[in-house]
Amino acid sequence: MNIFRRLKAGARELVRRDKAESELSEELNAYLQSTAEMKVQAGATREEALRSARLEMGPMESVKHQVRAVGWEFPLEVFLQDVRHGGRMLLKAPLFTAVAVTTIALGIGFNTAMFSLVDAILLRPLPYPEPQQLVVVGTHQRGESGMSPMGTADFLAWRDHQQSFEQVAVFDGAGGSYSLSGMGTPERISGVGVSANFFSVFGVAPLKGRGFNPGEDIPGAPAVVVVSESFWRNHLNSDPEVLDRTLTLEGKQRAIVGVMPAGFRFPSGRPIDVWAIRALYPPAGRPPYGLIAIGRLKPGIRVRQAEVELDQIATQVTAQYPTSPELFGAVMPMKDWMVSAYSTPLLVLLGAIGLLLLIAVVNVASLLLARATARQREVAVRMGLGASRKRIICQLLTESSVLSLLGGLLGLLVAWSAIRAFLALGPGQMPRLNEVGINSGVLLFTFVVCVGSGILFGLAPAIEASRPSLTEPLKDTSRSSSSASAHRTHRALLVFEVALALLLMIGSGLLIRSFVRLSEVNPGVQADHVITAAISLPNKYLDPLQQQQFWHQFLERVQSVPGVKAAGITMSLPPNLLEITNPFTVEGQGYDRQRQQQLAEEMTVSPDYFRALGIPLLRGRFFSPSDRVEGEKDPMIVIINEAMARQYFNGRDPIGGRIQTGDPNPTAPWETIVGVVGDVKYSGLDSRPGPTIYVPYNENSWGGWSRDMYVVVRGSGNAADLVPAIRTQLESLDTTIPLAQIRTMGELLDDSLVQQSFRTWLISGFAALALLLSAIGLYALISYSVSQRTREIGVRVALGAQRGTILGMVLREGMQLLSFGLLLGLLGAFSVTRILRSLLYSTSPTDVLSFGATSLLLVAVTVVACYIPARRATKVDPMVALRYE
Amino acid sequence: MPDKNTALVQGTLDMLILKTLALEPMHAHGIGLRIEQVSRGVFQVNPGSLFPAFKRLERAGWVNSEWRATENSRRAKYYALTTAGRKQLKLETRDWETQSVAIARILEA
Repeated sequence: MNIFRRLKAGARELVRRDKAESELSEELNAYLQSTAEMKVQAGATREEALRSARLEMGPMESVKHQVRAVGWEFPLEVFLQDVRHGGRMLLKAPLFTAVAVTTIALGIGFNTAMFSLVDAILLRPLPYPEPQQLVVVGTHQRGESGMSPMGTADFLAWRDHQQSFEQVAVFDGAGGSYSLSGMGTPERISGVGVSANFFSVFGVAPLKGRGFNPGEDIPGAPAVVVVSESFWRNHLNSDPEVLDRTLTLEGKQRAIVGVMPAGFRFPSGRPIDVWAIRALYPPAGRPPYGLIAIGRLKPGIRVRQAEVELDQIATQVTAQYPTSPELFGAVMPMKDWMVSAYSTPLLVLLGAIGLLLLIAVVNVASLLLARATARQREVAVRMGLGASRKRIICQLLTESSVLSLLGGLLGLLVAWSAIRAFLALGPGQMPRLNEVGINSGVLLFTFVVCVGSGILFGLAPAIEASRPSLTEPLKDTSRSSSSASAHRTHRALLVFEVALALLLMIGSGLLIRSFVRLSEVNPGVQADHVITAAISLPNKYLDPLQQQQFWHQFLERVQSVPGVKAAGITMSLPPNLLEITNPFTVEGQGYDRQRQQQLAEEMTVSPDYFRALGIPLLRGRFFSPSDRVEGEKDPMIVIINEAMARQYFNGRDPIGGRIQTGDPNPTAPWETIVGVVGDVKYSGLDSRPGPTIYVPYNENSWGGWSRDMYVVVRGSGNAADLVPAIRTQLESLDTTIPLAQIRTMGELLDDSLVQQSFRTWLISGFAALALLLSAIGLYALISYSVSQRTREIGVRVALGAQRGTILGMVLREGMQLLSFGLLLGLLGAFSVTRILRSLLYSTSPTDVLSFGATSLLLVAVTVVACYIPARRATKVDPMVALRYE
Repeated sequence: MPDKNTALVQGTLDMLILKTLALEPMHAHGIGLRIEQVSRGVFQVNPGSLFPAFKRLERAGWVNSEWRATENSRRAKYYALTTAGRKQLKLETRDWETQSVAIARILEA
């Protein structure tokens, strides 16, 4: 009632402000007239009466102000008035406004874009019901951190005995693709083998049909498959009858039983085509370790508790397999498992872009500060008319907030385009990119950053502009009255800006140097003229002998293609497509189970693989086609790499030496070393050289591992030109097999550095912008300072100062700022570049060259930025300067 | 210019205006003059206090206003007590009496 009336009355006055104002004026005038009339009656003249009545009332504006201040609507009205005034002032200086708004828009836009990435990938919970209960489970060895896949024996024991989880499921850790045939050209699609209860662990309902039923992962059950929404849309044209269709994967027909919704992308967080059944066969031994388990914790159970329970179960399994190493449980929140590799790079990028925004803010603040000095007269007039300092500061802050909100609005546009550009051009290997977007959380972030930076860059200028010096600016029309303290603040801001810019530049310098080192790493192969592709043999090639025959024929046919110099096949490809590692024992080492496990990268290859990739032979010989081993009597042979020869044969000739592979076991068969080849990177260009063991692909004990191979072909000309001929040869053998993942060796090398190159160039871009902004900032400060000192310089010149002296005087100011900034920036960099350590390859976070080169660059650019206005100062004509008044 | 109403207890002015209007509707100058006369010049209410008080009372719904011709046939805004204002005046008067009796007792003790 009462409140409602007040609200209504206030709102009415707000809307019909003019009427209320004129009524108030009329009422006050009537009051004045009445007072005057009384005085006339008392004997005063009309004029005297009016004059004294006015005196008694005081300034009429002040009375009106007091009346206005009664309503609740008053602060709002003041604010709107400030906004209007601010807008007018901004319109009056269009160049200033354009520069400031653009700077802020870029800063806020990039920040918003980066934050939306961080938000979607790192901050937001996974899009499943009660995602905090979901974990990924594996094993690790004593003294090892991290998580390795587990074997079937471990999984089955854990599944049957665990108490901590509502449900546990498993997926194929090595899985990744299936060959799809029967729908036009055969192709490879992405997919993963999972246990039957995989989807029910997530609690996500299918879009169509169902997930897998219990029992469908028992060997011999009917073959079924679940497809993703994108596969359904792109490959099956959103067929509504999709549940009546089948897919031929690896040559085997499977019934489609369900379609998962678009948001479901486990395990990689990237688009996936199909989920197929991974049948769990009773294990022959503890290895191979190829399964990754997932589970939903019971309410109240912690990760650590689940881990302890898994430790106990794993210990029992270790007891069952006496030759296997001791294993322990590793349990990790599912989100961490998916995204933790990206958290440091993303946070570093967010930090870098945050620094850039800070620099932008400082730049706008110094622009505003220069304007504040110019607006001292306006401020002095307003204060003279009775405005309080608080009022002036509020008004100026409102003005800067208007500026930053304009910048923020434009920034949202920048953010939107930056996100689109990133999704289109950035490294697509990141998980959860489908969740990236501008949502309410991101908008809130933008708004807070906007208002925050508005206040940040507005505060110092507002305080300076409102510094109570009433008479100075009014009485003196010359330019020499700039407030010394404003200038001091301005210079401090510039020092800060230079320091921030240097910090960013040093960060980018370190990343560039690390990237250069990384791209100079010798991968161990001659990449020119080499084309690679993946070939997977379908189910009908189940027999190892069939596989060997296929590869033998295929390689012979490819070899006969004109222009082909050498063709080989391999399980793993450099620089980072390693399939498996295996423990090994060198003859004479003994079988201590407690010994730290020694692992080698192991792969099967065809004899010409080494020639095709140009891997040098150091001792002994390559494999030859006559090495065909048909029976147990024949000795098993291997080739090892230089690192293994050096590390395990200290100076002895490894040729003829013997090793065993697999878990340490005295009865395991011996393999004889016939050759030593150069080191090749298989675990990433940034990996350390470690032991590698090559096995002939037609080795009996590796039968069954030769279904998924990479083909490597060296040509004499452009490698990509060989692709059609290779495909023809493949089709001449079997038309259902796709030639997949066709890449030149050069492309593979570049691809392996996509993340590094992306973040290096992004941060370097930020650093370049930072350098530009601080150069502009310094240039503006020195120009301003020169224009303020025109008269002084004129006097000096008139009194005989040399041009050189003037130049030095002006430059000295800039150099002082620069050196303080440099010092501060270097100190800052020394203390924070440590956070980059995990992103740097063989580059120290305090690398002298990066620090030095970037500092020099900063000095060079800022000296130029100071020199231009300083030279202008030397051209000052004393007559003109003195007549300036 | 000496400000004689500084001694006016906060909120008292509103009560005095309500009391003044209890007799008849009046305009701003008349109200000021009446308070000054009745108080024998102790309270001189300046316009900087008077006009905000009118707005406050009007917003509270205790007085309403209308433009009317004065005795000198000028236009002036006349304020009149509403029913709610009359109630409020009674309330404030009672409170004031209680308080002033209490204060007097303390001062005499």
